[in-house]
Amino acid sequence: MDEQYLQMFFDESDEYIQVLNENILALEQDPDDKDVINSIFRAAHSLKGMAATMGFDRLTSLTHKLENALDKIRNDELKLDTEMIDSLFAGLDLITSIVNDIKDSGEELTEVQDYVDELNEMIASHSGEVAVDSVISNTDNADVSVANDVVLDLSNDEKEEILDNKGETDYIYGVLVELEEDSMLKSVRAYMVLKTAAEVGYIVKSSPTRDEIENEDDDNIGREIKFVLISHLAAEELENELFDIIDVQDVKIDNVELDFSEVKKNKAEKSSSSKKSKSSSNKTNVEVSPTVRVDISKLDTLMNMVGELLINKTRLEGLKLEHDTYNDIIGQLDRVTMELHHVVMQIRMVPIGGIFNRFPRMIRDLSKELDKEVDLIIEGAETELDRSIIDELADPLVHLLRNAVDHGIEQKDVRKEKDKPVEGKILLKAYQKGSEILIEVEDDGKGLDGDKLAEKAIEKGITTREDVENMDEREKLHFVFAPGFSTTEEVSDVSGRGVGMDVVKSVVESLDGQIMIESEKDIGTRFTISLPLTLAITQALMVKIDDEIFAIPLNAISETLTITPDRLKQVRGQDVIVLRDKTIPIKEAARQLNLDVEYGKYKELDEIPVVIVKTGERLVGLVIDELLNQQEIVIKSLGKYLLNVEHISGATIVGDGDVALILDVRNIA
Amino acid sequence: MAKKVLVVDDASFMRMMIKNILQGTDYQVVAEAGNGREAVDMYSEHNPDLVTMDITMPDMDGIQAVKKILEIDPGANVIMCSAMGQQAMVIDAVEAGAKDFIVKPFKEDRVIGAIKKVFNE
Repeated sequence: MDEQYLQMFFDESDEYIQVLNENILALEQDPDDKDVINSIFRAAHSLKGMAATMGFDRLTSLTHKLENALDKIRNDELKLDTEMIDSLFAGLDLITSIVNDIKDSGEELTEVQDYVDELNEMIASHSGEVAVDSVISNTDNADVSVANDVVLDLSNDEKEEILDNKGETDYIYGVLVELEEDSMLKSVRAYMVLKTAAEVGYIVKSSPTRDEIENEDDDNIGREIKFVLISHLAAEELENELFDIIDVQDVKIDNVELDFSEVKKNKAEKSSSSKKSKSSSNKTNVEVSPTVRVDISKLDTLMNMVGELLINKTRLEGLKLEHDTYNDIIGQLDRVTMELHHVVMQIRMVPIGGIFNRFPRMIRDLSKELDKEVDLIIEGAETELDRSIIDELADPLVHLLRNAVDHGIEQKDVRKEKDKPVEGKILLKAYQKGSEILIEVEDDGKGLDGDKLAEKAIEKGITTREDVENMDEREKLHFVFAPGFSTTEEVSDVSGRGVGMDVVKSVVESLDGQIMIESEKDIGTRFTISLPLTLAITQALMVKIDDEIFAIPLNAISETLTITPDRLKQVRGQDVIVLRDKTIPIKEAARQLNLDVEYGKYKELDEIPVVIVKTGERLVGLVIDELLNQQEIVIKSLGKYLLNVEHISGATIVGDGDVALILDVRNIA
Repeated sequence: MAKKVLVVDDASFMRMMIKNILQGTDYQVVAEAGNGREAVDMYSEHNPDLVTMDITMPDMDGIQAVKKILEIDPGANVIMCSAMGQQAMVIDAVEAGAKDFIVKPFKEDRVIGAIKKVFNE
């Protein structure tokens, strides 16, 4: 199958799977919400259509089955209880699994028959009826004589009807129309045959009847349509009209001679068949603007080019020509590039809800498995983040949430003893603060015990008792991020899946973010991940250290100040300053960077330029040589060979074309 | 002259399918719509010779859209795109004035055949 189709198939399948997931969850909350059921139905239906088109038979039959069940639920023919919801989820899992099969191997490997059987039973037991889904034998008659049985069966009333409707020049025909064997939706075809006939005449009687056509299962409509028609058309003309309908394979027309003597006496009034109209009313006024799907790599390229543009703009500005037009152009260019940057960023931004949405299901399954009651509250799903960041975030969040359910929230009886509500709460919250996005995972469970963690860390040889003695609670909590540290003795199959908290931390840091913990015994634990809005372009403060230019991202800076040497104090051999009642350690940037200069010379200066940077929750004063200016920088990676240079996160090109290194202040402490 | 076609389906996958089937024929897809409401707007805007109309769509379903379109233009040529199991709705649509229907999964000759029939070609 065409690659192009397949990609689209995957994209849309994923979307529909998401829709199914969300809505089945919603359905569990409110089983009577018809809108939700309709959404589920539509998604299953669309999936079925795509799967059938691509020739994925298992997926087709699976979604078809689900659609049937949903249709019954929609029409209140099927009771919706937990068992049924579970079954819907199971079906969704199979769909997901099949789509993944196809992604991986191009083939459907997952078996669906067991599930289909189960669902059949479920439908039977929940509706009190026997599930009729097996193929119903086609009522194919081998002898296609003529429509005579319909004609022969005419009752007196029907004969009367003929008499009433027959004009002088009209003929009476017995007609048999045979549809092609592979004709689909035979009932509709039959309907069209009758409709065409009704346009050129008057149908006295038909088999199947209109009622049967409209109300019977499609499988029960055979290939033959027989009817008695009064028409002014000649047999040949009628034949042409009928053959003109798609899927009509054969048409046989007989002239019918009738004996009207019996019925001629009576005259009765007639009522013509009343039209039946079923219309589903569904009024929602949602304006949907058209969208375009774009390969993310194209956006990356676009972002890079905007970056290049920005660099060159900065260089141009650096020329500082004395010319009116020059200034004018620079001003214009500045506006345009700003706007362009903004737009490109907007395009790359997607709501974080995209990954949040899968969590309720996960929490639901997990808490069931562990026999805990957990309420997951999601806030700020609409918060937008750069697409590339969001993709990376899913795994760390899964891990944090799993941990919260597994290790954070206590068992029901334990919670009761502690006078806590039996139902535990997990809050997943995203919001923007300045140029950062904060994501919090908070539980109201048992909390982390810093001392216990420290003991464990000592046991594992991660730290020493001496070191621990000088540590505050915050630092002890951070042991959970240490490689090789696991908080439970036995690795449960829930949280201990090889991904440790150390991986969570390193993923977050690879995204230029930070992770923090707050915890209180029996109150709960909160992990806060902070991330930059976007990775590629950011505002930075340019500083000079040892005659080199460095960039410090603004989001890491608390403030800048110039201090006189007499404000420097000493605490345990460490230079500190007291700033608004806070004691802030002072570190020399050159020393942190291991630059080859003489350290400590700053103490001889009259005025010491200091940049107060945020590292985690703490502030550190960084002594630099000179504050230069603030500008937009385009972050370039140093490449994989220079990946682990301490305190350097990347490089950028400044106005004069020189390269400036970007300081990573997170681990300066 | 090439006939103008408006393709309506909430799945862009399906729209692409029909577009590709019609590629190289005398039927040219001039517009696409993802739901019934859009379809009605697009119809007024592009005045196509033919509409292929999905039934199950959010916002406004295909049946309502057919009815609206036929209100605007009683001579509109609409072909319903249906799946198995939707006979009642297709019948509704045909009753409302849809000219024909095609059934998913689409077969190229069926699609072309149905369209040709509509134009008596």
